[in-house]
Amino acid sequence: MQFFLAGRSKVALWAYLGGVRITSSQPVKDSAVAGIDEMPKVAQLPVQPNQLLNELWRESGAAAYGLEQESFSRILESVGKAQNYGLAAGATASQRQQTGFLRGLRLADLVLAQACAVGHEGAWEHFIEIYRQPLFRAAIAITGSETLGRELADHLYAELYGLKASEGVRRSPLDSYKGKGSLMGWLRTTLAQRHVDHHRRTRRELPLDNLVEGHEPPAADPKPGKLPAELLLLAKAVVDALEKIETVERFLLAAYYIDGRTLLEIAPVLHVHEATVSRKLHRLVNGIRKQIVKNLLEYGLNKQAVQEMLGTDPRDLDLNLKKILQVSLTDAFNEKAAL
Amino acid sequence: MNSVFQLDLHPDADSLNAFAEQALGVAEREQILAHMTRCSRCRQVIFLAHKAAEAEDLETQSALPSRGWRWGWRLGWVPTAAMAAALAAALTVVVTMHPRHTAPAPEMAKVVPQNAQTAPVPLREPPAGAALKPAPPVEANSAAGSLRFTASRRPPEELALEAAPSAALQATPGAGAYSPGENNAVRTPSTESVQMRTQQEFPSQFNPEPAVGGFQQRQRMTGALSANANATGASQESMKAAMGGAPVGQNAPAFTAVSRVSKQGAPTASFDNGAREAIARSAASLNANLPILPSGLTAISAAVTQQRTLAIDVAGALFLSEDEGKHWEPVTRQWTGRPVKVRVQAIGSGTVFQLTNTSGFSWTSADGKTWTVQ
Repeated sequence: MQFFLAGRSKVALWAYLGGVRITSSQPVKDSAVAGIDEMPKVAQLPVQPNQLLNELWRESGAAAYGLEQESFSRILESVGKAQNYGLAAGATASQRQQTGFLRGLRLADLVLAQACAVGHEGAWEHFIEIYRQPLFRAAIAITGSETLGRELADHLYAELYGLKASEGVRRSPLDSYKGKGSLMGWLRTTLAQRHVDHHRRTRRELPLDNLVEGHEPPAADPKPGKLPAELLLLAKAVVDALEKIETVERFLLAAYYIDGRTLLEIAPVLHVHEATVSRKLHRLVNGIRKQIVKNLLEYGLNKQAVQEMLGTDPRDLDLNLKKILQVSLTDAFNEKAAL
Repeated sequence: MNSVFQLDLHPDADSLNAFAEQALGVAEREQILAHMTRCSRCRQVIFLAHKAAEAEDLETQSALPSRGWRWGWRLGWVPTAAMAAALAAALTVVVTMHPRHTAPAPEMAKVVPQNAQTAPVPLREPPAGAALKPAPPVEANSAAGSLRFTASRRPPEELALEAAPSAALQATPGAGAYSPGENNAVRTPSTESVQMRTQQEFPSQFNPEPAVGGFQQRQRMTGALSANANATGASQESMKAAMGGAPVGQNAPAFTAVSRVSKQGAPTASFDNGAREAIARSAASLNANLPILPSGLTAISAAVTQQRTLAIDVAGALFLSEDEGKHWEPVTRQWTGRPVKVRVQAIGSGTVFQLTNTSGFSWTSADGKTWTVQ
């Protein structure tokens, strides 16, 4: 089998494969990847690239798809560099960080995905055997309909098989799988992306039959007039208060109040208990309210005026909380990002 | 960070999936979270992917060999059943070791055998001639194991109330001879003396109960003695020890009957000396002529006036005798529940019988035949 990566010396890869041995089957913890520079330096073990490469290659099962060690090392190098070994852009990964990152990859899934991407027949048989039914089930769960689910899954299958050609070259979305998470999780996420993007593209499309002659669309709302000074102050206090909350809290507010997600849905995404989400939300709302009061007091209002201002009807405010909390990005970049 | 985090780009599926699976570093995770606060599309993708993962988990669980919901229920009941069994065992031990009607600690009397030779005699029938040769209290004392009351703490007012009948009963032959010793001053000698006399003088006048286990005996005895154990100031241990070698089933009713007699002699505010002496004489008379009830069961409580004698057997039947126990006739049931105590109550210069059931309700009767709820 010939892999798409250009030939490079595996010595270049294994120059940074060394140091502490980490079990590859276990994902590397955050501290082992991102915070490893803060750990005290220990004596580096002598670099044994051949031994480590051989070990990772055997564990990945790459031999089953005819993937040799040289090609395997190129895949690892490509994946590591594409993600800067899990570090922020511009940071330089040490040998241990590089080793930890590579050992944290789902090597078996990565090898299977890469083998499927290049059209290895045995890999595809294995892929279909393992993932075909789960993929259908995931699609049905996402769409809420068996018909739509099967349609979505079939469409993705076609894409994965590389029926789409770009500039004469067959491309498979499996190329974008880098082994950070499980392949099944990646398939589910890809299905969800396809479904959401499809829904967003089609929801604004109205059939022509619905356009009745003489039935004009509703006029746009008149531009609101100038708001009183105190309402402008209140709006400013709200914006300032929302700007000070942390990222997780913003996510919580957006998911709960804008998306209308339940606590039970939010909890697994944040990997906390439902009750914890409830407590966080309660504290967050109270904190925002206190911050608004504090801001208004800092603006020079007295307590009585602040209390009266808090009783303002929110509809009187020219304030779009949805815009403050989130920025809706255009859908044009979705496909590019996903592939 | 990789190129997918460039401006106006969404994180790719691999990064979103890694975020969902907690496979990202802190910095990368924070970056994706920051993106998701702004991007409803990626939030929706994450939630949908998680929904699909949950559905897959459910499918996997249902594909596993299932034993049905009953098996789950069974497993769920295992710890509950184990706890219930442990609790039941603990309760059984507690009930067995500590009878329900144990006297309160301040009224407990401890009986200590003075020597090793007075070890508790196994439960067995007493000699046939024991009833024919009532031993004097002193002899009974030694025969019962030279019992010595070592402690008895009772409220002073209760002791004062019992002072009068105590004096009356001590005047009976042999009663005063049973001297508990140095703690006699705080003991209720009336009760104890009557108890000991009864046990030794009339051990076989009661029909022996059918053989029952120790627990049943204790329960029965406890039920019979419950009303009087506190009043007599003697614990069940002292009672059992006071019974000496006599069978428990035989002696318990005798003890109870006499002790109730001693209680019915408890003075009240309107109790004059004449009535007190009459009751004391009646008690002595009852002691001397404890009945054999026609039901064949032993009496648990009895009361005597000059003309009539009432007795309750262990089954709760009430019998009346107007010839000092020679002949008995059953009294028609005019009460509710199971009567457990009958006593003589002084009213003015006269007396009436008072019957009490297990629930504590009382009925009174002047003649022992017609009862009125009190």
